[in-house]
Amino acid sequence: MSYIEFQSVTKRFPGVLALDGVSFAIPRGTCHALIGENGAGKSTLGKILAGVYTADAGEIRLDGKPIAPANPLAARQLGIAMVHQELAFCPNMSVAENLCLGDLPLRAAGFVDRPALRARAREMLASIHADIDPDALIGTLSTGKEQLVQIAAAVGTGAQVIVMDEPSSSLSAGETRELFTLVRKLKARGLTLIYVSHRMSELFELCDNITVLRDGRHVATEAIAATTPARVVSQMIGRELRAQTPAHLSRPAGPERLRLEALGSPGKFSDITLSVRAGEIVGLAGLVGAGRSETVQAAFGLDPAATGRVLVNDRAIAPRSIESALAARIGLLPEDRKRQGLVLGLNCRENTALASLPVLSRFGWVRRGAERTLADRYQKRLRVKAPSLETIVGGLSGGNQQKIALAKWLARDCDVLLIDEPTRGVDVGAKAEIYALLDELACEGKALLIVSSELPELLGLCTRILVLRNGCLAGEVPRSDFSEDSLMRLMAGVEFAAA
Amino acid sequence: MPPQLRQLFRFQESGLLLVILVLGVLLTAFAGTVRTPKFERTADGARQRVFTTDSGGNRNPAFEEKNKFLNSQNLAQLAKDTSFIAIMAVGMAIVIISGGIDLSVGSTYALASVLGAMVLHHFGPEGTALAPLAACALGVLVCLATGALCGLANGSLIVALGVHPFIITLGSMAILRGIAFVATKGQSIGGFPADLREFVRFEMGNGLSVVPLLVMVLVTALGWIYLSRLAAGRRVYAIGGNEQAARFSGIRVGRVKLGVYVLAGLAAGVSAVLSLGYYGAATSGDGQGYELNVIAAAVVGGCSLTGGRGSALGVVLGALIIQMIASGIVILGIDQNYSQIIIGAVVIAAVVLDNVNTWLAKRRLTRA
Repeated sequence: MSYIEFQSVTKRFPGVLALDGVSFAIPRGTCHALIGENGAGKSTLGKILAGVYTADAGEIRLDGKPIAPANPLAARQLGIAMVHQELAFCPNMSVAENLCLGDLPLRAAGFVDRPALRARAREMLASIHADIDPDALIGTLSTGKEQLVQIAAAVGTGAQVIVMDEPSSSLSAGETRELFTLVRKLKARGLTLIYVSHRMSELFELCDNITVLRDGRHVATEAIAATTPARVVSQMIGRELRAQTPAHLSRPAGPERLRLEALGSPGKFSDITLSVRAGEIVGLAGLVGAGRSETVQAAFGLDPAATGRVLVNDRAIAPRSIESALAARIGLLPEDRKRQGLVLGLNCRENTALASLPVLSRFGWVRRGAERTLADRYQKRLRVKAPSLETIVGGLSGGNQQKIALAKWLARDCDVLLIDEPTRGVDVGAKAEIYALLDELACEGKALLIVSSELPELLGLCTRILVLRNGCLAGEVPRSDFSEDSLMRLMAGVEFAAA
Repeated sequence: MPPQLRQLFRFQESGLLLVILVLGVLLTAFAGTVRTPKFERTADGARQRVFTTDSGGNRNPAFEEKNKFLNSQNLAQLAKDTSFIAIMAVGMAIVIISGGIDLSVGSTYALASVLGAMVLHHFGPEGTALAPLAACALGVLVCLATGALCGLANGSLIVALGVHPFIITLGSMAILRGIAFVATKGQSIGGFPADLREFVRFEMGNGLSVVPLLVMVLVTALGWIYLSRLAAGRRVYAIGGNEQAARFSGIRVGRVKLGVYVLAGLAAGVSAVLSLGYYGAATSGDGQGYELNVIAAAVVGGCSLTGGRGSALGVVLGALIIQMIASGIVILGIDQNYSQIIIGAVVIAAVVLDNVNTWLAKRRLTRA
């Protein structure tokens, strides 16, 4: 009956238990949804099945036989393939070459048989009804088309199980439709699909069964027909959403701290005018690609093509210059803390002091006592759980890393904090702490502009929310009108409202 | 394990010290002995051979048995050779920690030597008259300035063009050596004021040139201060560890990178000054293949080529290990031609060991 069976699968990463004894089963020929919050372990589980990671403990059975693919190639040979979010091909090679990369048709003496290569690629693409030129370079295809090539590669090599990791996250509405049609066709052919996503509506439209993960643990596996989106949400969160009013709302907002005037950047966003006052938390919502992160990065001087004006405390700062943003006491907590926020190889003390080096040093010498005092103060205030100030940041859990990334700007004593995805990849406990901290900072009179993809986060925390759509301000919602529905309408625009 | 001992083992460079100790013991044990003529110092400080008079009244030259490795002359030689490499390796370490590489170090050294030599020759005994001290100072200055300018050129190109440092310095490696060759027309240049040579070759005890050694200690100390105590050094680690995060923290990445290559060039210039003083001549072929030894010293000394990791002291110990191996090849009577093969293998072995170590550390973190 059950085709794939997970039995107490456990996976540990430095500083975090990603999967904790997860067990459930997937019947053959079904589309199985895997859902959970960021960091719940859904992608990790998919990657273990596809051989990207190996489990530390537990067993996976395929058709009754225990398997333990050590690498993606081994998984392929077992008939398991994965469709990745990120580029999985060589961008400078053609579609045909990429499709046959593992098994190039050869002539004598090792020459590639080009006509055979092209024919085989065309056959693979036709089998999933994909209209793609086999001679096109992968790098020139859209994300949606590239995903189709990945699926063609999986189906063409005889995969029986396909793991799809957030397949629709960077697709247009039309491409998503095409993808759904294809998934249904594959299912009809008897393939088993595992669909990792957090987009509720897609899962309910497409899948047969659903498994909810929370903080690395299995919460429930149910038939889609037997559950409801509301039920799944409460399973994901593990509690009813508490409507606790942040304290900063009860205080009057202070003078204006940050004003963006007609900020724009060709091809990314245009004509953004907004203002944030002391003691306010302003949310910036929008779909992926709406230009949220680009806007806050430009306000911080990171965009060399930015136009318009940035004013802090009514004084214009030089655009396109991080130095002047820093001098005006703006801080940016970037979206991707591992790539942009932290130097993972340095310790907590060094990372906390990174933006404050000019303040902490005299004649070029770092005053070590002052540095230590500063780092220690913020480690205590943010309740960073680390053995000592000298602990290498790379070994900390996501939540503690995020706190260190935030400590860097608090140590710099910024008046204006631009915060991009405050709780991405952070576990539930640390999330609550970070929310409380952001509220506290607003109460102290700092001005906060927060970008987030998680609407409940913005709804819970913000004084008001601005919505970006296709790089333009689509509207502003005051706290009295907060609802997920009104925000989604603004974010998606008329198309969504009509649907 | 007693806490003091554990403290010692936690010391970052303890592994390197252990390797040096083991190498020293092995070389001493396997080197064998050599018969060398015995010398003594006369009252006026000159060296003269010792003779013994046997029962028949014949004067025979006296010999003594020495361990081939563990004797003062060999150790003095080892110290001098290590100094030249170690000084450049400290500069290289700073570059590597910033996430870059400088392949042109040997060529920078050659060009600095040659230009310095031309100045010293011009004002030397056979050239235009100038106070010997002033002539030496001018020569040293030209040497150092040439090194720094070569570094500046490397750094500017890397930052301005955004090309990988490997490519830029591969090009400048050929260009700088070419300039040195054209400038000298391939000739060796000597005939310097005697003062420089006397100063650099000043010996203590049994042939130990202390000046290169002291310069090495000074450069190491400066490198250590720069890397671990100055804000500039912290920025170097940050850029090497994660360039984007450094930029997002308001660090001027281009400026720091520029400085790093200037320092590496300057270090090559310092080595060039010492070589001019020590050998009293320079040709455009000097320092051929030094990039291998210098990068090897840095890598063996614990610098990660991905950037963000390494220390000045470790690199100097790395240079000592490389020189001990090179000297061991001579002492053990292995064919000289094998030395490149062996040093190349040591570099690869060091990187493999480092990877294993990183992997173990990661596993410990996961288990914890």
